[in-house]
Amino acid sequence: MIRRRALLAGTTAVLATPYIARAADGVIKFGVFVPLSGAAASWGLGAKWVGEQAAAEINSKGGIKAGGKTYNAEVIAYENGYNSAEGGKAAQAMLNRDGVRFIIQGIGTAPVKALQSLSERTGALMMQVAWGKSVKGPQAPLTFTNSNTPFELFGPLFDLVKRKHPNAKTVALLNPNDATGQEVEAEAVKQYKARGYEILASTWYERGTTEFQPIVTKLAQTKADIMDLSGAPPADSGTVYRELSVQSWKGVKVQSSGTGADAMVKVGGAAVEDVYMGNAADFGGATATPTQRKLNEGALKALNEPVNILHMGAWDALMAIKAGMEATNSVDPKKVAAKLPEIIFESSYGPTAFGGKETYGIAQQMLVPIIVTQIKNGQTVEIERIMPEELKARLAKR
Amino acid sequence: MALSVGLFAQLLVNTLQIGAVYVLFALGLTLVFGVMKVINFAHGQFFTLAALVIAATMPEFTARFGMPAWLDYFVCFGLAFIIVGILGAVLYFVGFERYLRDLVGSFILSVGLLLFLEGIYLWLFGGAPRVVPKLLEGQVSLAGGAMESQRLVICAIALAATAALYQLVAKTRMGKALRAVAEDREAAMLQGIRYRRISFYGFMIGSGLAAISGGLIAPLTAITPALGNDYLAKAFIIIIIGGLGSIPGAILGGFLIAAVESFAGYFLDLSYATIAMFVLVMVFLLVRPQGILGVAER
Repeated sequence: MIRRRALLAGTTAVLATPYIARAADGVIKFGVFVPLSGAAASWGLGAKWVGEQAAAEINSKGGIKAGGKTYNAEVIAYENGYNSAEGGKAAQAMLNRDGVRFIIQGIGTAPVKALQSLSERTGALMMQVAWGKSVKGPQAPLTFTNSNTPFELFGPLFDLVKRKHPNAKTVALLNPNDATGQEVEAEAVKQYKARGYEILASTWYERGTTEFQPIVTKLAQTKADIMDLSGAPPADSGTVYRELSVQSWKGVKVQSSGTGADAMVKVGGAAVEDVYMGNAADFGGATATPTQRKLNEGALKALNEPVNILHMGAWDALMAIKAGMEATNSVDPKKVAAKLPEIIFESSYGPTAFGGKETYGIAQQMLVPIIVTQIKNGQTVEIERIMPEELKARLAKR
Repeated sequence: MALSVGLFAQLLVNTLQIGAVYVLFALGLTLVFGVMKVINFAHGQFFTLAALVIAATMPEFTARFGMPAWLDYFVCFGLAFIIVGILGAVLYFVGFERYLRDLVGSFILSVGLLLFLEGIYLWLFGGAPRVVPKLLEGQVSLAGGAMESQRLVICAIALAATAALYQLVAKTRMGKALRAVAEDREAAMLQGIRYRRISFYGFMIGSGLAAISGGLIAPLTAITPALGNDYLAKAFIIIIIGGLGSIPGAILGGFLIAAVESFAGYFLDLSYATIAMFVLVMVFLLVRPQGILGVAER
């Protein structure tokens, strides 16, 4: 009987869905432009899921109201392969075939740059997390970043590492040999040198590499005090730290762009214990907001892994764009983009704004806390949370 | 960067552990070429499927039966081997049998299969990296070079499988038939050897070797549907340098490429090591196109 009722309720819900959708005047498509396969897939799959949750949240609360109309949000994910060739193809499909004009998450410098060459021309507003400094600026008025990049993260992270390990003097770095890795490496080297560290080696590998022993031997032989795997995806970092442990290297482990423990721990096991991460967060912990905790619980059930900062960017970007549309009373990407630097909106972290004019020449950087974490017993543990001074000042003026 | 004895030992150990799997993978590819005169670009998909099946089924087995990890692994390995075998047989009868000794036709077919199967794996298994739990804890030291214990066991299995294949080809009736077909198909057929049947055996042995190498690599790396692509590129380099269709050539080429990767990866970096491999291939194609141990066709 109960099963029959459940079946009836389910069928009714399915049949009713189109009518619920029709309550809105239209649907706005939001693109998620991410790697959905390969070592960086966990970033893309999570961003897609979080974006879908943000759309569901908006739709359940009456949609987006602009220009006297109400719109539902629809999230569509595109596989960018984490490279410019795949990214170029996905960008064509998203912008020209599907007519997407708002992108809530773009991951990977190379594919994001491929997309940007088209999105700026076609007038599409893009929120992304490519770490290259050149991605943002007055030359790209429709491009925004929805979470911190090396230019915001590395200084506070390296300061903390220096405080915790005052005897560490030398650093070796490993990065993927692509646009993301090159941008990350340049900033990491600059920031380490500014704090008096000696760089013993800075080496590269190709994405898709499966045998890391030769490179690990090279890194281990430097006997560096700090081993920073900067821009390597979590699965690759796990493999490298595991091999470093086999080759008896002991020291301070840093993944300055590290986004979460899960994939790294699965691959690296005990060898990744104590790794410092500059771009990770414990969204199930005490410092997380209720929205973040709810998303984290949902992701653990749906994806079997917690939400990370890159995933959360999709939520915050969609909320920012919604706020921009409602503030301008328009769904025109150019008008929304022009308005975003002026507004304060509700992100998953709480009230947030866009800033970064001093660094990038234009206020296109979402101002969210810098969270330094460390892997402890296989979990991401928050060590320090730093609120950007610019955001503090903006909120004080409100 | 001085080369101390300890460092030299470590680079040799790296060569051994990388080379053991390269050799096994490349042997399958060269065997298929030797017997069928087919370049199988889909070979890496057998390798990937074996690793994916093990990674996907092991957690289920562990949860249901609570067996030790190594026993779960071998059960799942067996299952993966059977699944790859079925896929190999289907692909042979549906596709490759029609393109025996047809380089262009088999090239188009196998490239299509490569893309098709990668898409299927992505759909079935998802794109997120999967991990097989560690089978053995601890590490060993070989003449000053360090290696995980499980790596050593896996290398030993890979080398044993290589030796077994060598014995099969050198000593058994089927092995002689495989070699006869590879050397001169018409003469072999005049001796009563059934070419199509031997081709099928060759293809299945090749697929089986890919499955074994995929199964062996599973506990050592993060597994994604694109796992086989890196190995496929290396395997082509190996068999060109070793000699297309030559089994001793694949063994020699496998360890040579592993040595280039290990030493050039250390003294230069991995990107330069990859470039060095391709330069080596170009030199061979210009100077000795039949490879080190291959035979030039007249």
